[in-house]
Formats: sequence, C-alpha cells, structure tokens
Amino acid sequence: MIRLDNVTKIYKGETRAVDGVTVNIEKGEFVFLVGESGSGKSTMLRLLTAEEPATEGDVHVAGKDLSRISNWRVPYLRRNIGSVFQDFKLLPQKTVYENVAFALEVIGRPRNIISTQVPAILELVGLSHKQQSFPDELSGGEQQRVSIARAFVNRPLILLADEPTGNLDPNTAQEIMRLLDRINRTGTTVVMATHDQTIVDQMRRRVIALRAGQVVRDEQQGVYA
Amino acid sequence: MAGFLGRAGYFSRETWLNIRRNLTLTVAAILTVAVGVMLVGLGLMARYASANALGRWQGGVQFEIFLEPDVAGGQIDALGEELRNHPDIERIQFVTQDQAFGLLEEMLVDEPELLAEVSVESLPPSYRVVPRIAEGEIIESLAAQFRQRPGVYSVETGRQQVDAIREWFNSFRWIVLLMSIVLAAASALLIFNMIRVAMFARRREIEVMKLVGATNSFIRLPFILEGMLHGLAGGVVGAVAAGALRSHVEELFGRSEILAFFRSFTVTSGQFTTATIATVLMGVIVGALGSAFAAGRFLDV
Ligand SMILES: Nc1ncnc2c1ncn2[C@@H]1O[C@H](COP(=O)(O)OP(=O)(O)OP(=O)(O)O)[C@@H](O)[C@H]1O
Ligand SMILES: [Mg+2]
Repeated sequence: MIRLDNVTKIYKGETRAVDGVTVNIEKGEFVFLVGESGSGKSTMLRLLTAEEPATEGDVHVAGKDLSRISNWRVPYLRRNIGSVFQDFKLLPQKTVYENVAFALEVIGRPRNIISTQVPAILELVGLSHKQQSFPDELSGGEQQRVSIARAFVNRPLILLADEPTGNLDPNTAQEIMRLLDRINRTGTTVVMATHDQTIVDQMRRRVIALRAGQVVRDEQQGVYA
Repeated sequence: MAGFLGRAGYFSRETWLNIRRNLTLTVAAILTVAVGVMLVGLGLMARYASANALGRWQGGVQFEIFLEPDVAGGQIDALGEELRNHPDIERIQFVTQDQAFGLLEEMLVDEPELLAEVSVESLPPSYRVVPRIAEGEIIESLAAQFRQRPGVYSVETGRQQVDAIREWFNSFRWIVLLMSIVLAAASALLIFNMIRVAMFARRREIEVMKLVGATNSFIRLPFILEGMLHGLAGGVVGAVAAGALRSHVEELFGRSEILAFFRSFTVTSGQFTTATIATVLMGVIVGALGSAFAAGRFLDV
C-alpha cells in the first residue's frame, strides 16, 4: 500500500529531513512513527500525500508512483488518503455536520450521498448529538473525532495521523486510539506519528523509529523506546 | 443532475460570501472597471458616429464662399446671380455680416472678452452653396472655379472640414484607446489583488480542500467567478454610463445651433447595441483575467 525506496528529502538544499528511508507498509497495517522532535516524522507523512516531493528515491502510495504522478492527478490520490492533525484543522464557521459534509462537497459528491454518509460517519465517531454544534463548542477530543470523521467519510484506503493525540489528555487520547483502531479494523491502513509512549506501548503495533531522518528501528508489535 | 445542482449551489454560495467579505475593494474594483469600459464604449460609439457622419458627407455636403469684408454690394449681387444660374448648383444661401456675428456670438458666449475684440464689419459675409451633384470631386472643382473671383476671400469645401474632423476623431480615438488600456490594466490589477485578499481570508478552507482532494479547478472556480462577476458589474455600470452620456450629447447637438454641425454624428441602435455588448464583455474579460491570474499564482498543489 505504501512503499518508500531509499527516499531522501532535503529542504532548501540543506536540511536532510528524511535520509535514505526504505519502508514497506502493507494494506491493513497499523504503524506508529516515533522519534524525537525534528526527526522527520511529519516530513515523511507529507511525502505520502505529495505535499512535498522526494528529493531522491521512489515513493509509491496506493499503487501510484508519486515521482511520476502529474499535478492534476494529485487531488485524486488524496481522495484515497485521509489526514488527521494535532490541531484538527476544522473550519470554525461551519457546524460539525458542515465540516464533514464539506469534504464530500468539494470533491463533487452528489447530495444524496452526502446526506446519508455524513450522519453515518458521525454516528461511528459518536457525535450524532452534536451535528449542529460549532467546533468552538466542542472539547478537544470531540473536535478530533470530527476531524477523523472528515478524514474517513470518503472511506479512504489510508489514514495518516500526525500526532492526533498531541493536544489531548490521556483519557481522551485513549478514546481517539479506540476510534483509530476501529477504523484500522475495517481494512484501512493507518500510519500515525506520535510522541505518546503510553499509547505506543499499550497498542503493541508495528513501530518505525526515526532519528535524524533515518530509520533506526522497525519492529512488529514494538514499543516506544 | 443532483450533483450538478449541488455544485451550482456551492459555487454561488461561495462567490456571494467572498463578495460580501470585502465590500470596499469590491466597490473600488467595480468602479474602475466601469470607468475603463465606459471609455471603451464611448470610443466605439464615437468611431461609429464619425464613420456615419463622414459617410454622409461623402455625398450631400455644401461648401461656403467667404467674401472680403469690405466687398461692394454690386459684387455680392453679381456673384449671387452667377451662382443661382450655375447648372451644377442646387441652391444657395447668403449669410450677412450680422448673421455671421450672431453665430460667433453664440459660439463665444462664455468668452465675452474675445467677442469684444471682434466687430461686425471685420467679419466676412458668405454664400453657402449646395451643389446639385453631391460628390467630393465635383465639389472640389466647383469650388476651384470661384476661388479666384474678385471679392472672394476664401472657399471652404466640406472635404477640408471632413479631413480635419477625421483627423480630430482619429486622435480622439487613440487617446480614448490608450486611456481605456491603462484603466483596464488598473482594474485587472485591482481584481487580482481583491482575489488575493479573498484567497488569503479563506486559506483554511483552501487548505482543507487540498487535503481532502478537491481539484485545483474546483478550488479556483469560485474565485474566478467572483472576478468575472465584478467585471460584469463594472461592465454594466460602464455601459449604462456610456449610454446616458450618448443621449446627453445627442440632445446637446440637437438643441444647439453651433453644434448643429454635429447632428450627423449619431449612432444607429444596432451600433449602440454592439458597443454596449462590447463594453460589458470587456468588463467580464478584464475580471476573468485578473482573477485567473491570481488563482493561478496563489494556488498550487
Ligand atoms: N518546510 C520546511 N522547510 C525547511 N525545513 C523544514 C520544513 N519542514 C520541516 N523542516 C525541517 O525538517 C526537519 C524534520 O522536520 P519534521 O517536521 O518532519 O519533524 P518531526 O519529526 O515531525 O518533528 P515534531 O515531532 O516536532 O513534529 C526539521 O529539522 C525541520 O526543521
Ligand atoms: Mg511533526
């Protein structure tokens, strides 16, 4: 599903954010990306969504070779990838329902699909009762669930999460992890960058550790350190 | 079909929101477009009008024989007799010194001090001559026959006037063209900036749209539509202004004796429609260009 072949990313000709990484992630895997701040986790995720091009090496995502993909195809690639961030990236003037519907609206999904999919996904994340609330009326955990709903409403093959629990207290973080786990069990490949030791140790999933842009550890059912 | 309607709803909603968000810039852009395209419209109409007038004069134009101011009465009568009996001449009209002064008075109504310098006696009386065959060449040769007569000061044919007018209109057209190009550029830049501001205001939405895989054209379209809408609004305002100005000017020509000469300068309703459509279209094009540039420049993958 995701394959990096000796991939290097150099920013502005100097910072080697990702350095000779070779990784293969199969469909349906759940992978933690760990490593200290600046080790290149976010950069690796941005390579997967074609937000940044690799400086060297090949990146394959969902069967596409990203070094050869033409610009106009990139949006279609992204429809197969859901993204979740530490800061949620919700639109403050839109309600919960509208935030999720927006993701379908802007890729041209017909209305009847939107009006059935959105309530279904909000049910899945447990926010059916908050459909008409605005983001600033929700707790951090609820906001993150909305953003996961938005990322998943189009049933992508891959879900990328960049420190999704970074702003949340431990209990709320647990809720989010249960949700991501459920999504993973539907067959969705999940890649999550995190600093959260408790969560990594408890989930016992594959762990890829980065240091200075290089893979220093890659374990099935691994732990944080 | 439902999908299409859904999108149309999305685009109109987004466009309207954008416009409401920066009203002052919107007004500035619309007015600039309006002035610019109004000039385009006026330029076009002036072009039609001069072509119409010149076309008409190729035919039935008169020429005027100016006499020496101190010419003897006998000479005036003799010349008049000859003109009246000339086989190529349809009819003539004598303009006395008093009448000439009256015309001048009307012309210099705002400059009495200039008028004070002129005395009735210093003005030439004249014969206005309408030839039977209205053709430039024949008028020229006819005029030449009377140029050397005793007591004749000068003979002015329509051709000289027509040439002068043509030249005047040509330079007028270039000035208008130049001004409208400058204004079109200014309005395109204003719209460019406005769209940039609109995109900056909505950067979070744009970020999310890119994230979930909206295509570039989908993201750009509301902005380009917005620019075109401004252009359209400016175009309509400009066309209305040009139309109003046209009727005002034509009314002026109709009322004033001095400007009577300009009565041939009219545009047909067909030409007026063409000019109006061109004006509005010009606005839309300017709007589309400015916004398309902005959208292309500030939205990459
Ligand atoms: N857009 C950019 N331009 C230049 N350098 C960048 C850019 N983004 C990241 N970097 C640099 O690349 C390196 C890796 O950054 P990255 O954000 O991938 O780290 P990270 O592992 O996600 O860190 P954190 O845990 O703090 O989020 C850092 O040295 C960072 O300064
Ligand atoms: Mg990061």
